[in-house]
Amino acid sequence: MAMLSIRNVTKRFGGLVANDNISFDVEQGALFAVIGPNGAGKTTLFNMISGFFAPTSGSVHFDGADITGRPQYQVSEGGLVRTYQLVQLFKDLTVAQNVMAGFHRVTRGGVASALFRPGWMRAQEKHIADKTGELLDFVGLGGRGDMLADKLPYGQQRLLEVARALAAEPKLLLLDEPAAGLNVQETAALADVIERVNQRGVTVLLVEHDMGLVMRVAQRIAVIDFGRKIAEGAPAEIKTHPDVLAAYLGGTEAA
Amino acid sequence: MTSRATTFTRRVATTAAPVALVLVVLLLALNSNGYVVTIVGFAAIYGIFCTGLNFFMGYTGQASFGQNAFAALGGYGTAILTATYYWDPVAAFFVSMIFAGIVAAIIGYPTLKLRGHYLAMATFALGLITYEISIEWIDLTQGYMGYSGIPPLGVFGFELATEKQQLVALALLLLLGVWISTRLRDSRFGRALRSIAGSEPAAQALGVNVARYKLAAFVIAAMYASAAGSLFAHFVGFISPEVFGAAMVIQSFTMLFLGGIGTTWGPVIGALIVSMLPEVLRGMHLKELQDVAYCIILVSILIFAPKGIFALIGEGVAAITRRRATETAPSAAAAQAAG
Amino acid sequence: MVDMTQLLQSLVNGVGVGLIYGLVGIGFCVIYNASGIVNFAQGVFVMLGGMVCHTLLTRLGLPIYLAAILTIPIVALSGILIEIAVVRPMWNRGAALFAIILATLATQLMIERITILTLGDQPRSFDEFTSGGPLKIGDIAIGYQIFWILGCGALMVGLLWLFFTRTTAGRALRACSQNREAAALLGIPVSRMLMLSFALSAALGAVAGILVTPTQVTAYNVGTPFGVNGFIAAIIGGFGSAAGALAGGVLLGVLQAVAIVMFGAGFKNVAALSVLLLVLFIFPAGIFAGLQGGKAH
Repeated sequence: MAMLSIRNVTKRFGGLVANDNISFDVEQGALFAVIGPNGAGKTTLFNMISGFFAPTSGSVHFDGADITGRPQYQVSEGGLVRTYQLVQLFKDLTVAQNVMAGFHRVTRGGVASALFRPGWMRAQEKHIADKTGELLDFVGLGGRGDMLADKLPYGQQRLLEVARALAAEPKLLLLDEPAAGLNVQETAALADVIERVNQRGVTVLLVEHDMGLVMRVAQRIAVIDFGRKIAEGAPAEIKTHPDVLAAYLGGTEAA
Repeated sequence: MTSRATTFTRRVATTAAPVALVLVVLLLALNSNGYVVTIVGFAAIYGIFCTGLNFFMGYTGQASFGQNAFAALGGYGTAILTATYYWDPVAAFFVSMIFAGIVAAIIGYPTLKLRGHYLAMATFALGLITYEISIEWIDLTQGYMGYSGIPPLGVFGFELATEKQQLVALALLLLLGVWISTRLRDSRFGRALRSIAGSEPAAQALGVNVARYKLAAFVIAAMYASAAGSLFAHFVGFISPEVFGAAMVIQSFTMLFLGGIGTTWGPVIGALIVSMLPEVLRGMHLKELQDVAYCIILVSILIFAPKGIFALIGEGVAAITRRRATETAPSAAAAQAAG
Repeated sequence: MVDMTQLLQSLVNGVGVGLIYGLVGIGFCVIYNASGIVNFAQGVFVMLGGMVCHTLLTRLGLPIYLAAILTIPIVALSGILIEIAVVRPMWNRGAALFAIILATLATQLMIERITILTLGDQPRSFDEFTSGGPLKIGDIAIGYQIFWILGCGALMVGLLWLFFTRTTAGRALRACSQNREAAALLGIPVSRMLMLSFALSAALGAVAGILVTPTQVTAYNVGTPFGVNGFIAAIIGGFGSAAGALAGGVLLGVLQAVAIVMFGAGFKNVAALSVLLLVLFIFPAGIFAGLQGGKAH
């Protein structure tokens, strides 16, 4: 049983077909990447998986349940947690507070428990604080907990976003172009974190256009061009796949 | 890493100092004449109102220009129930508060789906509608002339007859209100609200039901507003539509922005400062002149110090220390070289 | 059963006041298109139009035509002042949308209070521009002022059309409304356009205030109802086109007038505000999605 299963997904915007009959499976524990030239329809696909909008036809199954067209917070509640192409941090909060907010999905409590703080609530807060420190260490932001998130350099903001997503203990982590805007060193640090996240047992789906990053970390790759899936396979196969070469070399850009 | 010492300093700065300030102001007020008591009483009531508003606008980052509607519900609820039906003030207080909460939930559900200008105009309209109703529904509200003969606050048959007794009760309620606000802010609930303020898409991606939490913050703000309205009615003994008019919106925003929106104590300190203004600026006893002053202060703060005066002072201090540091650094290096 | 004459009479009255709402609505659109800001102090220009004109009439004893013509630039100047002192500093700093709205709301209250302090809080009015009347058609009375409103309303729309299509400034303003960044790149002084839009919008409000005062009264607090109704007119009209706002205003004015006949005048403002909320709830993304949420720019 695949962790995520995309079946014949099509998305039309008026007359424009952004995604045309795309299917693939992401197995549990995999590090899967979707690549394609700019405008190939990657972001559209990503938004349908994360529940930002519903596909015109086709279905998305996650962890054994049909999540097609469900609102985004419900998809997230189920354990499919995404990050955004443009970093969406809580700028007025500290680095640690950002991560703490990430625990929403895996913790409980409302107004009453916040007011009266029963034992389990205090234990939960303690757990959150401990895990926050651990996660910050994990992504290499240890000791920066009290800084305002806004003050971090961009590459570290990216890492913080990953740490915050990890706080939600995702079954599947969706990363939307995480290397966008990063320099070479920052991308390398990010690649390292992504690999270690996957080693912790988190299934990762990476939508990316930085070939270097994808070839380094991904175990399996699907290639999209003009809204269609043109190839799927291991990095070595993809590198030599004629359609992929045509799409990248003959297309809008060389990677 | 946070050392124990800095945690302690922060605790003092964020909790002990403001509590002490409130108590000192209370003690000063108790030892002065009636006028000061009245002003400090208003400050406490507005402090409660602004603390509630802060839930919705500060923590959650939304905008409502119509919270005066819920203050009016509380004020008129208390007035009608205690003055006409002789209810116990505590019962009237809570019934009005729950009523305001229910109304906020029903109205908030469609309203909070709106964004930007539409949200602003719709919430503004809520306040206007309540204002118009309080003028026109004369059988219920006694219209323009207002509702008088409201008894002072009392607990279980014991009436707080003097203004000073009431002031003590107001101060305690204010502290309770801020305590609740602080507790809720530093919790899973509060983190969900603040994540919405930070970025709605990100909050959603973390599994926060954004619509539900916005509504919760709106309802809480409405209940605080209702409480403030009820307390006002008891404290003054008289309410009229003007009390809960557009001027109240501007005045409360002035307090909120002056003290620092999104902080736990900012609304209270803002309320205190703004309530004192008519005293500080002599010749400001004309209500209209006061309103003009509030507007000028509000607009100035919005332009020059959108995070409140304390943030402005903090930035100023930081800039000075930075300059000092750069000035002393070379001389220290020189001293070291000499040594 | 509501009798027919009463209904027709209210239709006539509704058209008159509806055109006024339309003018205010156009004022909203002019500023919104140039800047993405909804000026919550829009109604105050209507109030100032009536009050300033009344003051010129009574204190200086000017004839109505002169007073009216002098009033327009005076009120336009107040619009420019608001832009320079309140809106522009916030705009330049990139302030949040709701902070700008709040500032304009505070400005409205401030101007109202200053009006009380200088001119008093008593309602006032002045004579219709043309004495005599009303014109009787059967039992329906049509005051002459309505013809002035119709004529001046048409004149304003015509002038606006000429301004936006035939003058450089007007074309620049339209360019701003389509794409501010591109307009700035083309060398259009976007901030000066903001000032121009405030002046224009205030002038429109002043015209509305001068025209409407003889048919009712003006006082320091008439700004809010006119502002709210103008906003509704603009929403119905799609928040962009002048003709749409005028049509929206007339529709609203007639609806209100009929509602007054049926339910009495007491709750007319409550009814108008409820209409506003209903319209917003039914079209949460805006009618024709003309008005977008989010930051002002």
